[in-house]
Amino acid sequence: MDVTTGGIATRTRSTSRLISLCVNSEWHEIAVKPRSTLVEVIRETIGLTGTKASCESGICGACTVLLNGRPVLACITLAVECDGKQIRTVEGLADGEKLTAIQEAFLDQGAIQCGFCTPGMLMSATALLRDNPTPTREEINKALEGNLCRCTGYNSIVDAVLQASGQGVKPVMK
Amino acid sequence: MSELNYVGKSWRRKDGPAKVTGKAVYTQDVRLPNMLIGRILRSPHPHARIVRIDTSRAKALPGVKAVITVDDTKGIKHGFVETPRYPPDQEVLARGKVVHVGEEVAAVAAVDQVTAQRALELVDVEYEPLPAVFEPEEAMQPGAPEIHPSHPKFVGPYSNIGGNTDTAWGDVEKGFAESDYVREDRFECQLRTHGYLEPHATLAQWENDKLNVWTSSMGVFVKRAKLAKTLGLPYSSVRIHKTYVGGTFGGKIDLYSHEYCAARLSMITGRPVQIVASREEIFSAYRHAQPLILEIKTGVKKDGTLVAQRIRAINNAGAYRGSGVVVIFLAWGFTMIPYRIPNLKYEGLSVYTNHTVRAPQRGHGAPKVRFAIESQLDMIAEALGIDPITIRLRNARGSGERLPNGDNTHHCGLPDCIRLAAEKSDFLIKFGRDRKSPPEGTIRRGIGIGVSAYMGGTLIYPNGSGVIVKMNDDGSAVVLTGAIDIGQGSETVISQIVAEELAIGMDDIKIISADTDVTPQDIGAWISGMTYVTGNAARQAASNAREKLRQVAAEKMSVPAEHLLLKDKVVYDRVNPELRMTYREVIAHSIATRRGDTIIGEGYWRTMRDEPTHPSLATTKGRWTENYAFSTQVAEVEVDIETGEARLVKALTVHDCGFPINPALVKGQIDGQVSMALGHAFMEQVLTKGGYTLNPNWLDYQMPTIHNMAISEDVDVITEQYCVGQPYRTKEVGEGLISGILAAMGNAVYDATGVRLHSTPFTAEKILVGLKHLQYQAKTARSTQIKSVGA
Amino acid sequence: MLCRWGPDARAFAGGTDLVPHMRAQLVKPGLLVSLGGIAPEPPRLLLNGSVRIDALSRLADLERSDLLRSKVPMLVEAAHVVGSNQIRQMGTLGGNLCQETRCLYLDQKHDYQFVAPCYKRGGACCYPFPRNGQDTCWSVYMSDVAPALIALQASIEIMRESGTRHIRAEELFTGNGLKPLSLGESELVGAVTIPSKGSGFGWDFHKSTVRGGLEFGMAVVAVALRLAKDARTCAESRIVIGAVREGPVRLASAESSLASGELDEQHLAQVAVAASKEVNPLAHHGFSRRYLMDNIRVYLRRTLGRAVERARQEC
Repeated sequence: MDVTTGGIATRTRSTSRLISLCVNSEWHEIAVKPRSTLVEVIRETIGLTGTKASCESGICGACTVLLNGRPVLACITLAVECDGKQIRTVEGLADGEKLTAIQEAFLDQGAIQCGFCTPGMLMSATALLRDNPTPTREEINKALEGNLCRCTGYNSIVDAVLQASGQGVKPVMK
Repeated sequence: MSELNYVGKSWRRKDGPAKVTGKAVYTQDVRLPNMLIGRILRSPHPHARIVRIDTSRAKALPGVKAVITVDDTKGIKHGFVETPRYPPDQEVLARGKVVHVGEEVAAVAAVDQVTAQRALELVDVEYEPLPAVFEPEEAMQPGAPEIHPSHPKFVGPYSNIGGNTDTAWGDVEKGFAESDYVREDRFECQLRTHGYLEPHATLAQWENDKLNVWTSSMGVFVKRAKLAKTLGLPYSSVRIHKTYVGGTFGGKIDLYSHEYCAARLSMITGRPVQIVASREEIFSAYRHAQPLILEIKTGVKKDGTLVAQRIRAINNAGAYRGSGVVVIFLAWGFTMIPYRIPNLKYEGLSVYTNHTVRAPQRGHGAPKVRFAIESQLDMIAEALGIDPITIRLRNARGSGERLPNGDNTHHCGLPDCIRLAAEKSDFLIKFGRDRKSPPEGTIRRGIGIGVSAYMGGTLIYPNGSGVIVKMNDDGSAVVLTGAIDIGQGSETVISQIVAEELAIGMDDIKIISADTDVTPQDIGAWISGMTYVTGNAARQAASNAREKLRQVAAEKMSVPAEHLLLKDKVVYDRVNPELRMTYREVIAHSIATRRGDTIIGEGYWRTMRDEPTHPSLATTKGRWTENYAFSTQVAEVEVDIETGEARLVKALTVHDCGFPINPALVKGQIDGQVSMALGHAFMEQVLTKGGYTLNPNWLDYQMPTIHNMAISEDVDVITEQYCVGQPYRTKEVGEGLISGILAAMGNAVYDATGVRLHSTPFTAEKILVGLKHLQYQAKTARSTQIKSVGA
Repeated sequence: MLCRWGPDARAFAGGTDLVPHMRAQLVKPGLLVSLGGIAPEPPRLLLNGSVRIDALSRLADLERSDLLRSKVPMLVEAAHVVGSNQIRQMGTLGGNLCQETRCLYLDQKHDYQFVAPCYKRGGACCYPFPRNGQDTCWSVYMSDVAPALIALQASIEIMRESGTRHIRAEELFTGNGLKPLSLGESELVGAVTIPSKGSGFGWDFHKSTVRGGLEFGMAVVAVALRLAKDARTCAESRIVIGAVREGPVRLASAESSLASGELDEQHLAQVAVAASKEVNPLAHHGFSRRYLMDNIRVYLRRTLGRAVERARQEC
């Protein structure tokens, strides 16, 4: 902790831990404080700002990332808990220039407006389609109920998931 | 319309790829070396005198680089409106007293979040609580605690009036006397909040006598003006940089204390300072929307023709003037645009209370006003035995009608909207069906209709937009525009217009936007004017460049310019198409023969080109806009009559949008507004007690989730067209489509249940109470009947 | 480790309850003990037909377990409505049971609102119910899974340094908002065991929300019953209401009343009316007592009806 000696702060002992995170298939060895959340570490230490911080209470889903494949809320996940784990963020979806089907579908369906919820939506949708390649509307709703959007009204997002899963929805934008 | 290649088609968003790959940079994503974290100290009292502030302990904490209070500012006030009648009334930090919970009292800049938080805890503030008032009708009473004793008394002996709007025409009393049916109703709308996903965030860097700012906003030029003013800097010393913005809905227009504080702290420390508001702060200390009380008395002839209307609107303005004086002005407007009203008297009052300051929220009063008026109109129709469609068609304005303020409706598609909406939804077949023959089970369906109108691009600082189209010598173009994309797709729409005018591809255009040093001034993304105002400026700029290309080519090819057509970056002679030049060749020729003219197109536009200024907020005198949009929306709802739970099943939006530049973007706006409206209708409410917010989070402030969305259909009624080389009028689609559907939901709930609610939200509890009341009335009527039969 | 540190240490698995509370500074542990690295046993069928579920099972995995879907569908349905998909992927069964009670005034940061701590925060007042004394806290226990487990007659295995002990699910809850769980210091919920059901068993579950997802409930209704041999009356039942009091409430009077008559619509309606009064809900999160009673009355009647239908199919 910090100790003040004549007005100058001295750190007596660091509380940081060294952890290894595999983010989008790249390993990072970083020092994190026990109280640091995964979203802070991804955005600030690793420098990937695609994952968004919005409510920081585990409600709105803007911070959704895949942790060992599971969609989780990075804002209420402690970074130290992720030592040795695989993390995938929105930056890790595309293969170079090649976007995934769900990313293309979001563009085709106009499922993006301000774009702030988009990374979290894409991660939740990616996990859904991996586990359930042809989801029904109810299943889509259940998978995305933890991703709030204020701009689109959600219909175009559902259509994007249906398009990406080959369920007959055609692009509306070119 | 002649063959258009870009306008009118659903092009993918220009900013789409950046947003789906996480590359789009929002304010919080901007990182500068040596950045400090700022935090704001907020008032824990709704109304209190500041006896003393002592920042010494906070300043002494290691890691704290600066602490400021109002004494560290220039004492310059700002306000949402700044007119002689309503001068700026708010300082960037509290002086002398605090007037709402969460008001900004001090700000700190420290090396990290934890230190900044600890520093806040070390600022000692001694308060002396003062009596506070929270309800506008109480706050108005003479003798109520005065929140701003130095402000003028605008209306007789009433206290706490931040502003008022009064207007009338005809003779309402005579009108009521001549009416066949008169009724008076009171409506109230709840306190709601914007709920944008991106929190307020600002990064400020003072370096080399220049302030660089990145901030989440709705218009960079307003931010520059207000920051520069409060900091005492010339505009050229303040640069607002472009960032993507994660939603605004009206809540990020005027100057926020944290923006000033980030800038001032950076000036003092010499380091960049970032301040990001937490979600709790946003939901409890920042701007919310404007709860309105509307008292409406309306007189009609027995065929439903409106004769007279008297309206009184009371706004709970919060603790500073804010946008309250605008919403009471707009509320008048939203009353008088869609229907003809021969005699009208309007009084609007914006009342101070010890609540957080208000901001416009998408629709800026229209949803509340239309809910009230359309509900009452249905009640009137029922009393007269007329159906909701007939009464609306009887009163709806058409094309070329002169509005009482001197504006003109121009090409108004409202009657078509009403007819189409009724037809497409089978309104008259469904209306009253479940009430007449209730089905099995506990679910009742109802259908309702709502009419609205909205304006686009009215005059408010900075009043006009400029656009520059710079040709690159290969024929592609860079467009400089001050327009800010808050999600509505301005960059895409501008690209489409430029592509159409210049006959180049969407991929040939790059937009540089929303940077106060680099891009021309722009009206900003509110008042729904961007597509109309900035779009026309872009059109003119592209057109300007096109004409230059044509002139140069005409010279080189020795043919009259009128013979030349442009297509796919080629200029060719219409008569002899073999005679052609590529843009590259034309531009090279221009540079060679016209003293280096690289071909830059310039354009600018504003609404109301002949009027010097905006109308008077107090008297409503003065013209407003030449761009009115009209709509009719139909809602189908389902209500469980045992639990009161209601939901929107289907929404139909029929709107006169002029013409859509990008139909898919328009659809996106409609869907978003339907979602916001159903939140307003059924779920959203900021709960407050004693000036404190009880539900400052998204679990307890119930904004719609993916589960809640309804089927949303829309039909465009085309009343305008786009011709290359000519000004066009598109009508707004981003704000005005909440009001009709909200009103329709209220009417639909009545149709499903017989319960008429005079306040939003239509919670399950309110509906259930209404149903119980109806049952009780029915039972009492039956027993009275039995009694009288038996007697 | 928990024993050594005492109350300053907190265990957590998914962290979906703990971390937000830490951020709001309601909990300031000196040490966090992570259980997240322990791989839970998958749900298994015991020899006596009971199902044993490891407390560290993630709720999303419970939803997908074929064993649970066939043996204890009510638990699957309860797990299915917890929070959001992400919460279900992170949160565990044990964590859900051990969640803190909730109140609007409690679950927010207190930098400038409700700064003076309430009783639950170790202070001297209650904001929503100012007349309450300091031994009374009417914060509400919101777990969706708990009412289902109680209705299913589950037992809970509690781990401590000296071994394990077993309690009935309902014994986990004290009914006291200040200390809602009967867990001792350094005790952890280890597993949940649900006995097999006999023939004539029926169940139903309902969670009332405003939006149909994401939220805690305004009320949760869990019903399990066994028909008598004649299939016209009820031999035994459990009626449990959650999210309206300091712990889940088992309605003993409603249960005996249910058993006392033929299971027709009218009887079920009467039972539901009485039950809505017996549960005595607390006004919470903006919902009035009156409305909660109405909501419970209607949904309890409907769940009883569906439970009876299911039971008849099992006969």
